[in-house]
Amino acid sequence: MADGLQQVKNWILERHPERQDIAPDLDLIENRLIDSLSFVEFVFLLEQESGVSIQMETLEVDAIRTLAAIETHFFAAAGATAGAEAVQA
Amino acid sequence: MPARPVAPPAGGLGWANLGMDIVSVNRVRRLLDQYGERFFERMLTPGELADCRTSTGLDVLSLCGRIAAKEAAFKTLRVRGRFLPWPDIVVRRSDGGWPLVELRGAAAEMASGSGIAEITVSISHDVDYAVAVAAPVLAPLPANTPTTRTT
Repeated sequence: MADGLQQVKNWILERHPERQDIAPDLDLIENRLIDSLSFVEFVFLLEQESGVSIQMETLEVDAIRTLAAIETHFFAAAGATAGAEAVQA
Repeated sequence: MPARPVAPPAGGLGWANLGMDIVSVNRVRRLLDQYGERFFERMLTPGELADCRTSTGLDVLSLCGRIAAKEAAFKTLRVRGRFLPWPDIVVRRSDGGWPLVELRGAAAEMASGSGIAEITVSISHDVDYAVAVAAPVLAPLPANTPTTRTT
């Protein structure tokens, strides 16, 4: 797991001490690990860790629904580029 | 996962999909302390921030009220797969002190798609929490359209 993605995972775990781990395919929205207010803070963190500028208005929920999706859109070398284009469109 | 029930379509006389939200003062105060005003510049327009400002800086209860109102208004739109377009749901204070909602950009598009012309909100707060409730004002249906909306 990339360092940046690990930081994202740690950030979520710090706010949900009842969890020991987060599976890559766990739905972060359905399981209420990210809500609309923490989403804004989460975007701050994602921008900091990935170096990708994110436009919240056009960000699709599915791009951050799971850790696996976050890795694809923001941390995988090719995926980060695609994710940046997708969220900046 | 078991199948979930399907909500009936909005529409018809007196129908309104209400939205409601509650925001913790402690949570917003932590964000303000940790990130400063720039954090809220991604959520609130300059005009909204001005409405929340007092002679001593941003008023946290007012911030909480605005945030709750935006979330409540967003909930009335009933859109899937989208996050709250924070700056596009603008909640300003009117002359009488009542909050007014203005929908812009992505929020206006979502409202149009849901058959909503406007949204009305009410905000309340006391010490630790702010709450808001919102109701949509449905757009007039075209002539000769059945009274039950299908969108």
